[in-house]
Amino acid sequence: MSSLNASLSTALSGLLVEQGALQVTTNNVANVNTPGYSREVPVLVSSDPVVVSPLTFGTGVTLQDVQSITDPILSSQIQQQTQAQGQYSALASALQQTQVNFTTSSNDIGTEISNFFDSINQLSTDPSDLSLRQGVLTAADNLATSFNTAANNLTQQQSSLDLSAVQTVGQINQLTQQIAGLNAQVSNLQNVGENAGTFVDQRTEAINQLSALVDVSVIPTGNTLTLTTANGAPLVTGQESFQLTTQTNSAGLHDIYSQGNDITSEITSGQLGGTLQARDQEIPSIKSQLDTLAAGLANAVNTVQAGGYDLNGDAGTNLFNPPPASGVGAAASLSVAITDPSLIAASSDGTVGSNGNAQAMYALSSQPLINSQSPSNYYSGIVFNVGNDAANASAEESASSLVVQQLNDQLSSVSGVSLDEEAANMVQYQDAYQASAQVITTINDMMYTVINMDTLTV
Amino acid sequence: MRVNPNPYPDLLAAVAQTQQQINTDEREIASGLSINAPSDNPAGAASLVQNADQTSQADQFERSIGSVQGEIQNADSALNSITTALQQAITLGVEGANGTVNSDDRAALATQVQGIQSQLLSLVNLSYQGNFIFSGTATQTTPYVLNPSSASGVTYQGNAGVNSVTLGSQFSLQTNVPGSQLFSASGSDMFQSIQDLINGLQSGDSAAIGTAVTEVGTAMNYIDEQSTFYGNALSQLNSQQTYLSGETTQLAQEENTIGGADLTSVISNLTTSQTSLEATLQAMGQTSQTDLFDYLK
Repeated sequence: MSSLNASLSTALSGLLVEQGALQVTTNNVANVNTPGYSREVPVLVSSDPVVVSPLTFGTGVTLQDVQSITDPILSSQIQQQTQAQGQYSALASALQQTQVNFTTSSNDIGTEISNFFDSINQLSTDPSDLSLRQGVLTAADNLATSFNTAANNLTQQQSSLDLSAVQTVGQINQLTQQIAGLNAQVSNLQNVGENAGTFVDQRTEAINQLSALVDVSVIPTGNTLTLTTANGAPLVTGQESFQLTTQTNSAGLHDIYSQGNDITSEITSGQLGGTLQARDQEIPSIKSQLDTLAAGLANAVNTVQAGGYDLNGDAGTNLFNPPPASGVGAAASLSVAITDPSLIAASSDGTVGSNGNAQAMYALSSQPLINSQSPSNYYSGIVFNVGNDAANASAEESASSLVVQQLNDQLSSVSGVSLDEEAANMVQYQDAYQASAQVITTINDMMYTVINMDTLTV
Repeated sequence: MRVNPNPYPDLLAAVAQTQQQINTDEREIASGLSINAPSDNPAGAASLVQNADQTSQADQFERSIGSVQGEIQNADSALNSITTALQQAITLGVEGANGTVNSDDRAALATQVQGIQSQLLSLVNLSYQGNFIFSGTATQTTPYVLNPSSASGVTYQGNAGVNSVTLGSQFSLQTNVPGSQLFSASGSDMFQSIQDLINGLQSGDSAAIGTAVTEVGTAMNYIDEQSTFYGNALSQLNSQQTYLSGETTQLAQEENTIGGADLTSVISNLTTSQTSLEATLQAMGQTSQTDLFDYLK
């Protein structure tokens, strides 16, 4: 046996559930532009039926759940690619800046090497001419300055990369704190069986932002996530976040510490990884190549000087102040040792007109002085290395950006809010709502009929 | 399959990429160079460094050729004047050897030859831009001075040093011959022969005069031979100059091939990029200007 009251309650369930579904649609529409928001769908199920023997009647509809439509695998791929993108983007922009020092200009190192040897060649045409000797000193000074400028620029760039690394660590700490908080909110809701979709979305978005900064490894742990760096330094465990700290090292740069351990060399991707790679590997390697060139050149010139005689007939002394024995810092400290042009040892026999030693010095320009290469060829090798690294980093950046973009596309096709879809849903829910309301009106009429049954006249 | 409802990020990325391409093209057009930073073409940038070094070298070699040319030309013309003077001395000597000439005439001839001697002295002591050109590498020392106690009447104060100057990557040139080699060679000693002639004329010894004339002739021939060194040097300088200007042209062409912008294709790329940018922007403008909400009443 059924009753009008039962029908009324069934119709009411429809009314309420369609309202709820409409609420979901409204929320989707409201969040159409929210970054990281995953569209939600209402999960409708029919209510448990009642058995009125021998019949079974349905009892309406229930809004069982509001489900976020996500793809955790895609999200995790996006996080990984975002790390690579962050790394190469930091590296590429650092190297773009680095290579400015190696762009051909009127006073780059390559040009000054040529000018220096040209001035010696000119001196060999008239070795006793003081103005030609002065020309050699000026060219040597310019050469030293070009090395100094490049080395100092690289050191300055290291300092600014260092500053940026410290700032990135600050951002990482902020995000891990935020993620720990979101972990708490997600697990609180999920522990009581509630939908935590919005917090999960916010957490995913925060992890994406974190991935752009550092290499993150995400491990689901129950209702929460554990985050570590790729090498296992803890960042977030459940509701607790672990701060990274920085400490100045002997070189005046900041090392990154986690729980008292120096993890600087372990951070390989994300913006921090790229910044550290530029600061600790790329730039030091370029500096060391410049040092090799500066030291090799200065030592070779000094050796030739010592084998000849100056304008006074005395044995030649150093033209360049001797570079440090280790070569480290040679480019930054390269400087000319003499100011008196007559001290250039152009003569090979002590007579003023002899150019034998100037010839020997000029010959250095084509001798395999530095790693079996002439000075100019070795320098062109540095230009190649810098350019190649910068080009590779830019190419990797474009490639990883493209992959991130494609993955985001895919994710958006799963999780993105479509206004057409929401409009259609809205119409659908509205129709159903109106229909349920119509049913209630009908039941109301029927009730009226029943209530006024005694007053009915035949 | 559900399509991505939000194509804007894709379109924006496409716009950014096209805009970057446009910037690159515009930079190439503005600079005329396809390599504006090493990363544009690392191998090309390295080649350009070497090219610039070689170009700078070649330019320097041309300047150095200009510098040594003057000295060599001066030396060459000094030797010509010396040969002429020696020729004159021979004429005077032949006149003095004639039996019909009296002692007064011989004394007058001797005085004339002494004049030639001092003319020769000033020729071998010629300097160019403050440097004596026949004193070896002792360029600040007067090569020859009169010395009555010396048999030849002069003393050589210079040295036997020679200089070479590098004037090409595979070419260096000796730029001087020391006076000792030119004028005081054993058996062809110019000053000795002139002194002998003066002595012969002063003593009136016809036989001695004849011998001295032969000596002067020998010295003259020897100097004439030696002067081919300078002639050769000048012609080598000329051909090296021709070679270097060819090399410079070739290096400039190479530079343009490696690093010059191919303007035709860059401009065509630029046009393509601009068209594509406009198309993308138009697509953005039209995308989802409407959705289902617009049609609901």
